[in-house]
Formats: sequence, C-alpha cells, structure tokens
Amino acid sequence: MAVLQLRTGLTPEERQLRQKLILRDTAALMSLFAIAILLFFITLFLFHSFSVHRQELAQRWLQRGEKALQSNQPLAAIDALRSALAYAPDDEKLQIELAEALAAAGRTEEAVAYFNTLLESRPGNGMINLQLARLAAKEGEEAAALDYYQAALDGTWEGDGYIRRREVRLELAQYLIDRLHFDRARNQLLIAAGNAPDDVNIELQVAGMQEKAQDPANALHLYQKALQHRPARLEALEGASRAASAHNRFLLAKEYLERTLNHADFEKQPAEVQAQFRNMLSDADHILLLYPGPELSVRARAERILADRKIAQERLADCLISKSTVPPALQTLADQWRQLPSTLRLTQLEQDPELEETIMQLVYRTEQITSQQCGAPTGNDALLLKMSQAPEAIERQ
Amino acid sequence: MSVQPMPETVTRKFGKAAYRPLTQAELEKIAPTRDERLFLVLSIFIGVLSGLLVVSFRIAIEWIKILTLGSAPHAGQFRLLIVPAVAGLFVAALVHLFFPAARGSGVNQTKAALYIYNGYISFKTVIGKFITAALAIGCGHSLGPEDPSLQIGAGVASMVARRLNLSRQRLRLFAPIGAAAGLAAAFNAPISAILFVIEEVIGQWSAAVLGSIVLSAISSVVVARWFWGSEPLFRIPTVTMRDPRELIAYAILGVAGGFAALVFSKALGYLRPQLRALPQWTYYFQSGIAGLLVGMIGFLGFPQVMGPGYEVMDQAMHGQFAWKVLLALALLKILATTLSFSSGTPGGMFAPTMFIGAMLGASVGSFEKLFFPHLTGTVGAYALVGIGVLFAGFLRAPLTSVFMVLEVSGNYSIVLPVILANMIGYLISRALQPVPIFEVFTHQDGLELPSMEEAREESELHLEDALRPVDVPVIKGQQTIAEAAQIAAAENASAFLVSLRDGSWYAMTAHELTSAGPTSTPDTAIERILPAERTPILFPDMPLDSTLHHFPRWPVLPIMNRASKGKLEGIVTQDDVLQCYQKH
Repeated sequence: MAVLQLRTGLTPEERQLRQKLILRDTAALMSLFAIAILLFFITLFLFHSFSVHRQELAQRWLQRGEKALQSNQPLAAIDALRSALAYAPDDEKLQIELAEALAAAGRTEEAVAYFNTLLESRPGNGMINLQLARLAAKEGEEAAALDYYQAALDGTWEGDGYIRRREVRLELAQYLIDRLHFDRARNQLLIAAGNAPDDVNIELQVAGMQEKAQDPANALHLYQKALQHRPARLEALEGASRAASAHNRFLLAKEYLERTLNHADFEKQPAEVQAQFRNMLSDADHILLLYPGPELSVRARAERILADRKIAQERLADCLISKSTVPPALQTLADQWRQLPSTLRLTQLEQDPELEETIMQLVYRTEQITSQQCGAPTGNDALLLKMSQAPEAIERQ
Repeated sequence: MSVQPMPETVTRKFGKAAYRPLTQAELEKIAPTRDERLFLVLSIFIGVLSGLLVVSFRIAIEWIKILTLGSAPHAGQFRLLIVPAVAGLFVAALVHLFFPAARGSGVNQTKAALYIYNGYISFKTVIGKFITAALAIGCGHSLGPEDPSLQIGAGVASMVARRLNLSRQRLRLFAPIGAAAGLAAAFNAPISAILFVIEEVIGQWSAAVLGSIVLSAISSVVVARWFWGSEPLFRIPTVTMRDPRELIAYAILGVAGGFAALVFSKALGYLRPQLRALPQWTYYFQSGIAGLLVGMIGFLGFPQVMGPGYEVMDQAMHGQFAWKVLLALALLKILATTLSFSSGTPGGMFAPTMFIGAMLGASVGSFEKLFFPHLTGTVGAYALVGIGVLFAGFLRAPLTSVFMVLEVSGNYSIVLPVILANMIGYLISRALQPVPIFEVFTHQDGLELPSMEEAREESELHLEDALRPVDVPVIKGQQTIAEAAQIAAAENASAFLVSLRDGSWYAMTAHELTSAGPTSTPDTAIERILPAERTPILFPDMPLDSTLHHFPRWPVLPIMNRASKGKLEGIVTQDDVLQCYQKH
C-alpha cells in the first residue's frame, strides 16, 4: 500500500498525488470488499435454495423408488433410486436399496459390483455382506454365500444389530436347510434359540425351522417354552404335537393333540389340517394302546406284548410269502423268531421280563426290516414301526 | 479471438470528481512499491471473488439442468432431444451476436489474454462466458465448467487489476492468478489448479507470480469448500493398492487411456476445423445440431453423457455400472463432446476428459473385479487413475495429472499406479499425436501461442556446454610485469589470466599490460597494477546467457570449480558462447 511508504524528496504536488492515490486505492479495496460481501450473500441465497431443492428432490425420488420396489417394478425403482442418489449421494440406505433393486431386476452383475464397492468403503457392514450373501446364494455360489452370511453375522449393524443378527442367522439356517445341510442348520438354530428373547413369535419361528432341520427334540423344547405364554397359541400346540410325535413322545403328543383339537381356533383351520391332527391323535392313541409301557400292570403289559408279537409275525409271514427268494436279512429274522417259543402264555411272560424285552426288540426289528424289504407298512405295523424308532420315549413326559 | 486490447491509459472516476490519471512513471516515482504490495492483497480478493463466481456458476448450471432437463433425465424423454437443441441455437445466437469471445473452452482465451493482450479480459467476456456456458452445460451439452471457470477467474483478475491501475507487467501476471483461482474453485483442488496453470498457461515456474497464484487458489478453494464441502465433484472412494500384480492392470489402463486420448484428440482435431470452415451463417445452427445429436444419445439410452456428468463419475467410482456399460459411456462421451465442442458451444474439456477417464478406469477395474476377484484394487481407484491417464494423455499435463489424483484421493498409496499409467498414457498419446490438443486449437484459430509442452522441455544451455580447457597463459599475481610480458609473448597470447592470492582472477589483455608500462617498472608485481575489479565468479552450471553482458569488459572468462575456491574448470570467450548457441 502506498500509505506505508516512507519516501522523501517528493514535491508538494507529488505528495498530494500520493495522498489521492492512497485514498483511491483504499476506496477501490473497500469497493472490492463490498462487492465480495454482496456476491457472497447472493451466492449464499442461491446455494441455500439449491440445497433445499436438492433435498426435496432426493426425498421425492426415494419415495418413488421405494414405491416401485414395493410394487415389484425394479427397473423403475433403479431409475428412481439412481436419481435420488444423484441428490443425496451419501445416503447409505439409498445405496443399499439401489443395489437391492439392481438385484431384484436380475442385473446381478451390476448389483454385485455395486455391493462390492460399498463393501470396500465399509468392509464390516452387516447389511452389505448380507446382500452379497443373498446374491451369491442366488447365483448358486454356496461357499461365497456362506462366507458372506458369516461376515454379515460378524459385521456391524446400526442400532438394531441384535435383532438383525438373529434374522441373518435364521436366514442362514434356512439356506442351510434348503441345501440339506441339517447339521449346520441345527447349530445355527440352537445359537439363534439361545440368543433369542422370551418372545412367543420368535420361539415359534425358530422351533418351526428346527422341525424342518430334523431337530424335533429342540423344536419341542421351544414349543413348550412358547406354550408357557398365556393364552396358549394354537401354532404352539400344533408344533408341540408335531414335534412330540416326531420325537416319539406319543404320550406327550396325545396331550398336546387333545389340547390342539380343543383349542378355540382349531375349527378355523383348513379341513385338511384338522384331519391331519385328528389322524395324529388317533395314531398316538393307538400307539399308546400298542405300547407295553412300564406303567401298565404286568398282565396288561404281557397282553400287549403278545398282541404286538402277533402283528409282527404276521407282517413277517406276509413279507416272506411275497418273496420268491428270501433275503438274508429276512431269513435271519425268521430264524430269530424260531428260536423263541412258538406258543407263549401270559403267565410265562409275566414271570420273564427278559423275554418280554427280547420279544419287543424282535417286534421292532421285524417292522424295521420288513419295511426295508417289503415296503412301507400300514395300520398297526406302521404304528409299531414308529414306536421302534425310540420306544423308550413313548411315554416320556 | 475478439478480445479487445487494453487501452494505453485508463481514465477513471473517483466519486463525482474527475481526476487526472497517473502515468506509470508518476506511480513509479510517488509509490514505487505500490504494485508489489497490492499484488498480494488483490490475489486474495481475486481468489474470493473467483470462488464466489464459480460457485454461482455451478449452481446456475445445476438449476438450469433441473429446470430444463428435469430432476432425473431418463432415456426416452423427448425433452432430451429438444432442450439441448434449442439451447444450442440460443447460445450460438448469443455468442455470435453479443459474446464472440465466449466461444470455446477458455484455456486458450486466457493464454491469449496473457501473451497477446497484456492480460486484458473484458467484463463482457466474463459475463458472456458465465451465461452461455451455464446455459449450454445446464441444457445437456457434453461440456464441463472448469475451463470456463478458469476464464471467469482470469477475467475477474483482469478487471480487478485494471481497476487498481496496476502496471502493464503486473496486469499481465494477474491473468494466471485469476485462472488458478477459478480452476481451483471448480476442481476444489488447489494444488492441481496451481500446477495446471503453471504447466499449461504460464509454462514455467516463476517465483514472481507463484506466491500470488497460491494465495488466490487457496482463497477460492476456501470459499468453494465453505459451500460445497471438501468433496464437491464426487465422493472419493476407498483407494488401495496391496498387490503389485495389479500394476499390470494399471499399465493396461494406461495403454487404453493413451489410445482413448488419441481418438478424442483426433476426432476434435478433425471435426472442429471442418465445422469452422463452413459458411458463417451455419455457426448459428451448429450448436443446435450438436445439441440434437447429443440429446439423441441420451434419448436412445445414455443420458449420462449429457452435461458434465459428475454424478455419473461418482456412480462409476462406486461400482454402480457393469464394465460394458462403462466402456460404452466412455466411447459415447468422446462422440458427444467432440460434437458439442467442435460446434463452438462454450464449455470446457476438463469434465469430459475426467468423465472418459473415470469410465475407462472403472471399466478396467470392474472387469478385473469380475474376472480376477482375488486382486484387491477397488473400482474407484481405477476410475481415479483413469482420470489421471486422460489428463496426461489428452490435456498433456503430466505433472497436474499425477498431483490431481493424489490430491483428490488424499492417498499416496496410489502413487505408483498413477505414475505408471499416466506415463504410459502420456507417451502413447504423445508419440501418436505430437501436437497437444490446446495447441491444435490455437493453430486452428490462427493464433501463435507458445507451446507449453515445448517450453517445459526446452533445454537451457549452460556454461559447461561452451567450456574449453584453459589454453591462455595463467600468471600469478606476484609475478612481475616483465615475466608476464615474456610469457604472453612466448605464447603469442592476446589475453591471459592473473591468479590472485585471495583466489580471485583477473583477465588481462596484452594491451593492458603494455599500457601499464609508463606508470610502473618491469619489476613491479602484476597485482599492483591491476584495478580493483575482478572477473565475475562463474560456475559451469550457470546459464550460458549469464556471460554475455561480461564480454564487452572481459576478453576471456574463467569458470571456477564450486568445490575448491580459485580452481579453474576452464574458460569461455564470446566466440565460444556464440558458437555454442549456433550449434543448438
């Protein structure tokens, strides 16, 4: 600035010129400052109005995108969500919804590329890993799908991580069930059940999946837990009935089946479902009538054993007749029967519990081998076959 | 180029009273350091004003885009055909009737202002550039706002400097200062903007202007970031480089980028003069037709190529497209930009160059992800490197290209891929297209501006290039006049060097020796008859031209060794220097 200059040797006219110059420079700088301030406020106004409009546009396109996704129009959703992202590029929810829309539209390659890129910036994100797991599952890449599911379980979730992890675990269990990996599914379901809160819906959901994963024991346990909630839910009773039956606990099954059939909502069930449960009750009743349980009197027990023996021997005889050449397994079975006394009296059995046990074991083995050799049994044979799976559980409460 | 030259004297009003304008000589006398001091203060003002204008410029583009093309242009919308075509017609009329200097990108116009018009850019040009470029870009022409921002910044600087009645020399320096401010605000990357202005506008590192360029660039970026935040162009993705094998993929990207830059340059180099050679009346329609064709690309399925495409670059960097789509976008952007730019529509080349590079890079990255999933490079990293490659190959700014990627990514782990790919792209482009694109444009416009690429690579001659062994007699200062005369006579030398005790030298002619006779005896030591002055101290690495003004005084110049005082490396004479220049 001229004002800072200390210079001597100027004429009075030059000094005057210098003073004018200083004033002029100051005025020029002040005017520049004023222009800058004015321009700042104009720009601020423009920017503010533009920012507000961008937010409105982002919201509007997001709503359209979500609506399109809900109405199963993924292509429209992609366009709308892309537009929304142009105005709100950092919105994580939007990004994931767009990738979901891409996947839903069958543009798996784009969806995977997008999710991979999202994952690079948020490597531990549970939701992104879950989406990648779903895409890998859809593409039939089992190993990748399992890895991504595991990463989703280990990943971070915002706010509701506890719930989302359980949902992921259940989804993983379902995937494993679909792929017939029942052991691994059972493990996941056990963890899910262990971590689940005491909520009847969750208990019913997990127990249902445990049934599918061929784990009736744990399913029954969860159904029983669900039944502790009042009022007892019909689904819980039905599940408990199924699980108890599958687990050969027919005495318990009978109890649940009776409660199921007496439940107020049971009549609202479809006819085939009602019939199914009535048949199950009938089977349970019959099994309990066939089963020589330890609670019975000695006489009653001996009578049932004799009756069961008769059923099994007839089944064996029919099976032997149907075969032109007797298979070794049947032959062995016939020999075992022959080693027993051909005629047995009730008193004989009453006095020989060991013989009772031997006969019942042979009955069960007969039903199992004949079912393998001569096809699925019907009637009492079918019931005896069921009993043979875990006879000790039949009357367990 | 229709930029008006600056008038010799500028008469201005101060308040209501007219005052006599001061001449530069008067200013020099009454305030000799005024220019120098104002220079730095004004640099900040220029930065702030440029930053605000550039932010407004970009908001204007976005508003125009939303109002004309809608908030989400999609393929199949008829407005994609109509809007750029109508805007093209309107912009062409504005350019030809009111703002002829607004045509083109803005980089060459700024260079022309610097080298031809003493830094003069009119207010009308700034306004014209703002309006026409905002309209064209906002309505979907495939052009970018950076080069116009550069020119707007330079124009602001020119206006401010003129208002303060600065010297012509200073006025000329303000153009690159404003250009850096405008570009820095547009890029939101001050280092890249400074480097670009040095590489492409002024062509050399000048200490006189560097400080002001830095000040203005930083001021403008501070303003821009106040509004846009730190990532106004696009979100920078995660950038990693863990596996050295990925360098192969980056090298492939360099090759692809080099050829893409070549295709882009050739297309522009061919179409632009063809369109300019058409009758003048067609100029009114060229932008409109270009807009229609660009709109057709959008209408038929690729609206992403319309406008600058920052959001598309963002999407590409974040993996939203498959590699085939990305490749198609890169190729279609070359076509669309060639059409828009060749038609004379105001708008810049930077954003399209970045777009093409980003698409190409993301395409290579996505391809790698798909077929070589074990490699760890991110799609975003490839897109960023792709931007650098196109900058190096197409704009021929290799230094800027490297620093831009580093600056925007904020991650030095990407430096190897960037340097490798950029260098390959640059070399391929340069080998196949020797003349850089901005130079091609200047030649097409009938201008002769200095080539920045040549200026950067011009090898300066040094004293070592003209140096020859000491073949003149060397006499110690203590030796007598008689001895010196004897030695000189024996070697028939017209001049000889005198070595003095303090390590300094004196180059003496035979005539000086003989003329010393009347005032001294033959036994007088040479050092006693020498005047106080000594030959200049010169070293082999000094510029050759630094010797020229010494030759009227000295017949021969000793060249010293920097390591040991008084030791000679050789000598040079005027003939040696001139011969050296003739050889080069």
